[in-house]
Amino acid sequence: MKALTFLSLAIFSTVHAANLQMPIWKDGERKSFEEAGGILRSFILSDEPEPEPETPLDVEKPKADEVTSDPLRSSEIPEKFLAAYFAEKPAEFLVDPQGLLSPKDYKDRLGFLKYHAGDSSIDFYVYVFGGEQEIPGEVRAEETVERLFTTGRPAVVVFYFLGAPQRSAIHLSPSLTEAVSAADQRRALQSSVMSAFEKLNTTDQLDAFSVQMSIRIYWMERMLGGGVSPDGIPIVSHRPAAKKVAAPSVLEVWKEETVIWMEEWWGGAALLLGSGLLALSFVAWMRSRVRFRFPDLEVEPRLGGAHAAGVGAVISFANAALPPASQKDQVPDYLRRA
Amino acid sequence: MKCPRCVQRIHRAAQSCPHCGFALADADAHFGEDEVRLRSLTDAAGLLRRGGRRKVEAAMEEIGRRFPQIFVAVYTGPLGEVANIRQFGFWMLNRAAFEDVPVGKPNEAGVLFTIDPESKAAGVTFGYLLDPYLDESDTFECLSRAHSHWLDGRYADGLVKAVRHLGIILAKRSRQARRDPEKFERKVLPPPQMGDLVRRIRSGHRVPEEQPEVEEVEK
Repeated sequence: MKALTFLSLAIFSTVHAANLQMPIWKDGERKSFEEAGGILRSFILSDEPEPEPETPLDVEKPKADEVTSDPLRSSEIPEKFLAAYFAEKPAEFLVDPQGLLSPKDYKDRLGFLKYHAGDSSIDFYVYVFGGEQEIPGEVRAEETVERLFTTGRPAVVVFYFLGAPQRSAIHLSPSLTEAVSAADQRRALQSSVMSAFEKLNTTDQLDAFSVQMSIRIYWMERMLGGGVSPDGIPIVSHRPAAKKVAAPSVLEVWKEETVIWMEEWWGGAALLLGSGLLALSFVAWMRSRVRFRFPDLEVEPRLGGAHAAGVGAVISFANAALPPASQKDQVPDYLRRA
Repeated sequence: MKCPRCVQRIHRAAQSCPHCGFALADADAHFGEDEVRLRSLTDAAGLLRRGGRRKVEAAMEEIGRRFPQIFVAVYTGPLGEVANIRQFGFWMLNRAAFEDVPVGKPNEAGVLFTIDPESKAAGVTFGYLLDPYLDESDTFECLSRAHSHWLDGRYADGLVKAVRHLGIILAKRSRQARRDPEKFERKVLPPPQMGDLVRRIRSGHRVPEEQPEVEEVEK
């Protein structure tokens, strides 16, 4: 019954709503409402939206040659820079013949790469390109790197595209190519790209990328050295080491960290240890020199003994089953239980 | 303070044990009344080997160095009965003349360890100098340290342990005596005389007031 009632009410409401129409302005009502300061704007009630007022921008449009000459936007590397990039082994660790980085940024990045080179046995070269630039097809990157970096210290070479870190490519010098697996190279690159993406600014991205890659190179170095000594990596080698890549064990890491700690803090540690030993020796010496004295009190002789009557304890060690604890209460023999 | 024969408590300055009547004369009758000359480490029972003997001597010397008033003596020998070991220690410290002990250290300052390998018993006796500072429990602690060694027949090791522990206890007592000498002085005060006791009972344990002096008045 209730359901029937609700159904009829619903049908009635629908028919009534269909008959309802929007109200319309009568003659002169709208004009008088607006003159009276009505709050409704005209565009609300009009059928067409009010167009936004146009304000002409006083900015010149970029010229065609300006657009094409922006290296970050252009897709080709100007031919005049190709030789600077790929003709010979670069003199610096940061290769930017196009001047894509500001002098200050270039100096900062180069400083970091130099620092890395001083701290690691594997050099780290960064070639900087524009974000949309393409390396010409005739330049085979792997061959080029192999040719340029055959001699000298082992090196990791990264082609970095400003603003597009995901396009970066990693290449290793011949002494490293077989020692470091492709998977490790890929992981190092991915990790560095992820770090770069955490920054918004292109220079900061390059910064983060470089730092992360430097860390990864450090781990490559550890793996190559078998976790013992990074000096094991050959500086000039046409026959790359065939050592298997193995992660350093916890013990090896601990040993190395201990050695580093000792090298850095040995002076302080030795001083501390020496001071402690000296203090202990002094205390031991002082204690050995301590003399104990007793006040000589007048004691009346007992039992006719002129010198002593201090009868102390007696202990029996005839039986292991009779421990000292059971012998503590020393009572006269005739009071003992049989 | 206990009697060496009946192990009953005796009062200070008792000339003989009030329980069994024991006195040094009884010990003299048993062990002899003449002075006995011997070294501070006398191994009559032959329990100590050369190395062990050296260790024991070193421990004894250490006590003598740290406690300039005191010396330690050790005697090992068969005594017959367990009960005799206390009497023997008492007699020995009163009748012995230790040849290697400096004259400045009389027997009053001695601590004697006695070991009887036959009855497998050991005891400690000490002179009057240490009477206020050592008690039976202290000496028992020292002997307890040696017990396990002596059970295994390692007499030297046991003696070294006992002597070293004695050093620890003596050092502690010395510090206590320096801090609170009155505590130890009270232990050796002479016992009250009978007359004093009667007077105190009659006066109801009140401290007698001093009699005011009577001034002579010139007539």
